[in-house]
Amino acid sequence: MKERVETLMRSVPGRFTSGLHSERVAARLGLWLGVSFTVAFVTGLFSHFMQHPPGWLSWPSRPVGLYRVTQGLHVIGGLATIPLLFAKLWTVYPKLWQWPPFRSLSHAVERALVLVLVGASLFQLTTGLLNISYAYLWPFSFPVAHYWTAYLLYGALVIHVVNEWAKVRRNLWAREEVEPREAVTARRRFLGTVAAASGLTVLFTVGETYAPLSGLALLAPRDPHAGPQGLPVNKSAAAAGVTAAIRDPGYRLTVTGAVRTPLSLAYDDLLRLPQHTVRLPIACVEGWSAEAEWSGIRLRDLAALAGVAPGSVLTVESLERGGGYRSSEVRPPHWNDPLTLLALRIDGAPLAPDHGFPVRLIAPNRPGVLQTKWVSKVVAG
Amino acid sequence: MNVGRWLGYGLGGGLVVAGIAGLVVNAHQTDPLGWALWFGGLIAAHDGVLVPLVLLAGVAVGRLTKPSPVRAALTVAAVLSLVALPMVAGIGRRADNPSLLPLDYGRNLLVVLGLIALVTALTTIALRLRGNRRRE
Ligand code: HEM
Repeated sequence: MKERVETLMRSVPGRFTSGLHSERVAARLGLWLGVSFTVAFVTGLFSHFMQHPPGWLSWPSRPVGLYRVTQGLHVIGGLATIPLLFAKLWTVYPKLWQWPPFRSLSHAVERALVLVLVGASLFQLTTGLLNISYAYLWPFSFPVAHYWTAYLLYGALVIHVVNEWAKVRRNLWAREEVEPREAVTARRRFLGTVAAASGLTVLFTVGETYAPLSGLALLAPRDPHAGPQGLPVNKSAAAAGVTAAIRDPGYRLTVTGAVRTPLSLAYDDLLRLPQHTVRLPIACVEGWSAEAEWSGIRLRDLAALAGVAPGSVLTVESLERGGGYRSSEVRPPHWNDPLTLLALRIDGAPLAPDHGFPVRLIAPNRPGVLQTKWVSKVVAG
Repeated sequence: MNVGRWLGYGLGGGLVVAGIAGLVVNAHQTDPLGWALWFGGLIAAHDGVLVPLVLLAGVAVGRLTKPSPVRAALTVAAVLSLVALPMVAGIGRRADNPSLLPLDYGRNLLVVLGLIALVTALTTIALRLRGNRRRE
């Protein structure tokens, strides 16, 4: 009996007859995946440390659209990786059934790490796709789980690349041995199909951040022109629980903390301060972005009025009672930038409640979650 | 064993350990049990269900057609449908925020599949015509 099972198991890998289950195809797809996972890891870490900078780190406020580009690369590039991962796992699937499963201790460790790599890749791409589709079907915090799983994935990937590097070199750069013509054609056709699937995924989604292609964004979770005042919204005033507070006639914007002159300004006082108009994108962590014309007062003018020292860190607080994004820190490069506004208007009209009426922060090169809405307080520290 | 190899193992191993440590230390946010269910569930669903289905489909399609634009088109269509699925299902829609998932994704997916079918048909016809001409 045992012998029969043995013989059966040994015969499994041989039953995958397609010539595409080959080292050559795996090496090529592996190379593509290595590039795309590296881009995802680097842009993801950039996003993380923009949102949670250690004390010594002050990100520059320029180039204006940097975060928009890196996060667009992260999310759209992540979507483009989905076909690559499917293709790669299909190509190497027969190896899942290799027999004996473990030839030695080091082979067992190697396979365990491959399992981690496969699981972490599927986890990042699947939960990433579901997250940008707002389908939060899990009990964990997406950003926290996604962040730590990224280290797990990239670590397992580095080890895997070290182990397979000789095969990659042999297959991609070593002198071509003579191959049957059909094999070459079949491989090109397969890789071409995979590239087409990736390319079309990008073509039908990238318009959610690259407006010239927004007409093609048939499968993107956002349309950069859809929303109040033609601009998408992440958290509505209703969801934030501020619908009553923002209509309160007693509303005041206060500037306190390490200031020479504390300020308390009504909405009409804000309208009487010098107004400036800037064109800036709002660039969401979820990869979409949209540009608008914002008018309002420069944060640095307000800071000067209150007598804030130029090296201070400002904390901008919302009328929201709770939630992870009720306040955000604005470090010197950002609040000293003349493009950084406490905005009162979009395209000349007062902010819609969902865009942060009466006042919201808008700054260059900054994730959307840090563009605090419904602002009622600026604290200098 | 060369130095580069061990540097790679050190770097990779360090990242793996950091990842596991982060998942465990932040257990109140990463919910290790829920995380593990997703991690393991996705491997099981992929290796145990999705790939076998794809292999069966591959055998079926292989019997029906020679390698052709149709095969490539079916592959591309399947992948794009899978990517679009969460949006088509519309699980994330919220009454208070119509700017989330603002499009008719079911219709849009049909448009995309229609475009793929059209390009495939045109390519197939073009290939046939060229083949005929060659035979003449
Ligand atoms: C379909 C693929 C992917 C999508 C749609 C996606 C989506 C996202 C989103 C929406 C965020 C922002 C989370 C937030 O700040 O709220 C994010 C952050 C991040 N992503 Fe991805 N991602 C994908 C793949 C990957 C991969 C493959 C890696 C690792 C190699 C990765 C690493 C990261 C990291 C490190 C962050 C920063 C998390 C933080 O701010 O703490 N992502 N990703």
